[in-house]
Amino acid sequence: MEFEPVDEFERELHEALVRRPAPPSLKRKIMERRGRALRPRSYAVLWQRLAACLVLAGALGGAVGWQRHVQEERRKGEAAREQVLTALRITGHALNHMNIQLAAHGRGHE
Amino acid sequence: MAHDWQPDFEQLVDEHQSMVFSLGWRMTGDRGLAEEIAQDVFLELDRNLGRMESAAHACFWLRRVTMSRSADAMRRRRVRGLDLWVEMEERHGMRVEERTSPLGARVEQLLATLPEAQRAALVLRYQEEMTPEEIADTLGAPLATVKSHLQRGLKLLRAKAASHLKEYVRVKEQASGI
Repeated sequence: MEFEPVDEFERELHEALVRRPAPPSLKRKIMERRGRALRPRSYAVLWQRLAACLVLAGALGGAVGWQRHVQEERRKGEAAREQVLTALRITGHALNHMNIQLAAHGRGHE
Repeated sequence: MAHDWQPDFEQLVDEHQSMVFSLGWRMTGDRGLAEEIAQDVFLELDRNLGRMESAAHACFWLRRVTMSRSADAMRRRRVRGLDLWVEMEERHGMRVEERTSPLGARVEQLLATLPEAQRAALVLRYQEEMTPEEIADTLGAPLATVKSHLQRGLKLLRAKAASHLKEYVRVKEQASGI
């Protein structure tokens, strides 16, 4: 919809407020600042991504290492348990054997 | 919502730099500051380019952000205790009288003496030829408030211009010895 001034004063105001031309250097300054703003941003993004990758790799490495450590501990625990059970079995056999011998020896005296 | 319009930053600068610069200048009264505001506004546009849905949306966005940035700049200046419009023509050359009629030039200067809200409404109305509804959208103000600012601003400006015109005629008469 076209602007229609109501009276002479509004017409004067409308004419007085015509858009002023932008300085010829404005666009160049904008494009320069845009170029400067883009470069650091791309470097910053690169560094951020690199840091994120390192942190992720560190976290993954730590998790894998911790899991291996836990598995190793569990394996050692199992081995120790097996050894204790074997020792108990051997002791049980030895005691049984000793009991049998004592019992035979007792019968021989009678 | 997907939109087909592909914004071209350089083209938007070409199309709207005059509008953004003029709004900034008329609101702050400082050509250098207006240029800084225009640069900041366009760089912000660049950061938000993906959000622009159409050419009209980009234009609306530019007007809104320019008015907001100009208000911020004026607030900062007020805190520092500077009177912007006193410096306007002295600092930046370009006398407005050279471009328009004496009354028109004076009207622009008188506009600068209006309260900020009234000036904003009048600049958007008479520079950008916006309707009160569009001004309300741009400034994020109620329509009734914008209409009130327009009416009061125009009334005040008429009164100031009439007073100036009487003074102008009196000086002319004295000069010609009537």
